[in-house]
Amino acid sequence: MSKVIDFCRRNLAWVLLFVICVVFTFTSNNFLTLSNLLNILNQNAYIIICTYGIALIMMSGGLDMAVGYQMSICGVLCAMMLTGTGIPMPLVVIITIVVSVGFGALGTLLEQLLQLPRIFVSIGLSTVYQGVAYVITNSKTISGLPDSFKVIGQGTVLHPSLTYATILMVIGGIVMSFVMDRTYFGRYVFALGGNEAAARLAGINVKRMKYAIGCVAGFFCGIGAVILTSRVGAAAAGTAAGTEITVLTGVLVGGVSVRGGDGKIANCIAGVLIMGLLANGMQLAGLNTYYQYVAKGAIMLLVMWFDAFQIKRRAIAANKRKEERAA
Amino acid sequence: MAKVLEVKNITKTYPGVVALDDVSFDVEKGEILALIGENGAGKSTVIKSIAGAITPDRGTIVIDGKAYEKLTPAMAKEAGIGVVYQELNLVPSLSIMENIFLGDKVGGKLMPDFRQMRRRSEEIMADLGVKIDVSTQVQMLSTAQMQIVEIAKAVVKNCKVLIMDEPSASIPMAEVENMFRIVRRLKEKGVSIIYISHRLEELFELCDRVTVFRDGKYVITKKVSEITKKDLIRYMIGRELTEKFPERSVKPGEPVLEVRDLTGNGDFHINLELHKGEILGLAGLVGAGRTELAKMLCGDVKPESGQIIVKGRPMKAVSAADGVAAGIGLVPEDRKLEGVFLEYTIEWNIPIMSMKRISHMGIVNFKEADRLTDYYVDTLGIKTPSVKQEVRNLSGGNQQKVVVAKVLAADNDILIFDEPTRGIDVGAKQEIYKLMNNLVESGKSILMISSEMEELLGMSDRIVVLYEGKVSGSLAKEEFSQDRVLELASGM
Repeated sequence: MSKVIDFCRRNLAWVLLFVICVVFTFTSNNFLTLSNLLNILNQNAYIIICTYGIALIMMSGGLDMAVGYQMSICGVLCAMMLTGTGIPMPLVVIITIVVSVGFGALGTLLEQLLQLPRIFVSIGLSTVYQGVAYVITNSKTISGLPDSFKVIGQGTVLHPSLTYATILMVIGGIVMSFVMDRTYFGRYVFALGGNEAAARLAGINVKRMKYAIGCVAGFFCGIGAVILTSRVGAAAAGTAAGTEITVLTGVLVGGVSVRGGDGKIANCIAGVLIMGLLANGMQLAGLNTYYQYVAKGAIMLLVMWFDAFQIKRRAIAANKRKEERAA
Repeated sequence: MAKVLEVKNITKTYPGVVALDDVSFDVEKGEILALIGENGAGKSTVIKSIAGAITPDRGTIVIDGKAYEKLTPAMAKEAGIGVVYQELNLVPSLSIMENIFLGDKVGGKLMPDFRQMRRRSEEIMADLGVKIDVSTQVQMLSTAQMQIVEIAKAVVKNCKVLIMDEPSASIPMAEVENMFRIVRRLKEKGVSIIYISHRLEELFELCDRVTVFRDGKYVITKKVSEITKKDLIRYMIGRELTEKFPERSVKPGEPVLEVRDLTGNGDFHINLELHKGEILGLAGLVGAGRTELAKMLCGDVKPESGQIIVKGRPMKAVSAADGVAAGIGLVPEDRKLEGVFLEYTIEWNIPIMSMKRISHMGIVNFKEADRLTDYYVDTLGIKTPSVKQEVRNLSGGNQQKVVVAKVLAADNDILIFDEPTRGIDVGAKQEIYKLMNNLVESGKSILMISSEMEELLGMSDRIVVLYEGKVSGSLAKEEFSQDRVLELASGM
């Protein structure tokens, strides 16, 4: 029995996801069909891909609130290059991703230069991205993207609902899980999140690691932007606004602590899917986006409280064990 | 003399353990009572009981003739118990006087009467014999001054018994004498003091009586004048410590680390040499530049000029990563802040510095990592039920061993120990000393920074003393004496 409880605690996000799926299965006839499940994955693919990077930042003890508008500005740039210039499509995709990597590195650069926590830097940058995106688009939606580009987000294989985006998401998840569990890079990320001073003195090049983490986060954000733009078939300055809250909450639901140093990529996927399913369920129940904001915010507060509660509980438990041993 | 505090038959149990077992002792008016014992002897539990932070299962605490079964922190304070904890609890951005009266209302209900606050603070400081502007912000003060503010805060309200938990551990050696002076002054004013310390020498200098605890039990109370240090240690650990500093046979060989005209951060200018198989003691007051030197040697702080030569090769370091690559490993002064990853397991901590070495194409060979962990847990005798135990659950001594294991696993030949036994009890200290001996015997070299005189004199092959960023003297083994080291450390 205690093994079952332990399993549930360690994989809380997956257990919750399962429960929600069971509920939806009974309340909706169309829920448990292959195409619906694949659709859900497809809808959330770009968010989950983005999550890989943000999870990395959070595991290393940082917090990034810029993903939403970073994705927006990248999407806008991508669409403008596709419609306004003669740059070939594959090159546009690469440039978009490279720019996003640059944004990620810029975050780290400012963090180092201004000696500020990433959360403050990212909030500032987010606002700058937002402004720039509106300025360069003149607040207009850029549409009329070539079909060859739309294939990335809309094209399917094997099954009419299995998109390339979904496949990319799965591959990304496997790679990132491997990186976090099996490579020294993954260990170093956790080392940073666990105790930055100790990591530095242990000979880990903290600065370089932070740039690497920023770049990886930018990379995934760039891919997310390309997929989103391609799936929607258009881009506007506000397209991805608010994604940062979904991602952040998803990562927290997935068991990553706001203090860093803990968590699993797979659980973060489950966390974001939970957020996606809840939004989907509310939509079906006729509750519009504004209600969803209320729900998302409430869930975010709930998981943050739970996280803080867990930290406290663990600290108390450790103290108690120590006192017992000492006594 | 009248008894101001009596602890009667106190028992406190935690699930599975008895932290205090029927403990009784008393404190007389105007005396300084030393309370000693190894880590886990029950000192902190008994203090917390007196201060009202925990409630014992059984027993009575009598303060100034009034018996209490259940104390709250507020009641204890009201009754005249003041506590200066090991870690300082001040608000850095507030002034000294505001800190002294933190939580107390001075003057009106809404607006504090700052004039009155200042007057009363000045009185207290004058009582303690300290000259200081009480409107100074606490963050501008030195650690020793902050401690004085803590003392003032504790005695501000009609304090009858002042409990001091390891007050000398957090302040520089040179300031200890001044703290003693303040404590003696309080004693003259009729305040009783319970003084807790790991440094036995201090007790003989300062205290009137000493009470020993062991394994949650009261052992004995003696007049300091009627007991020897050897006896005290025997009471504390329940057995005779045959040799405090184990002998070693290895003789220092060729130089492995040469520091030439290293400068940085103002007046800092250092020359020194460390030989193979040597333990070089580095003495000096806090602020003399010992920790800065350690950080420069391991690459964490960049020197302005000068050379660090490791085994004949100049080291170019821009980060601690380069120090590790050159074979220099630091066991930092602050174990919890800089040494270990408290929330991670032992098996996570030990191989962390070796990760790159045991990786192939970025992928970690976890078999090798486990082998390293098992080897070092075994060799260093880290006591734990499992390597999956989180480090924060270990005792201080075992945490220190994890730090050492981490550094050793990275194949470092030159080890810098910054205060290797700080906050570790007598038994565990012995083990760390033995471990250091084994290390130099196996061909490693150790630079040991220490503020503990006995440790410096007992463990070093040679002692280099720093004073204000410069080497003020170097002592060979036959020249060792406490007086010489202190003279050099204070620039005489």
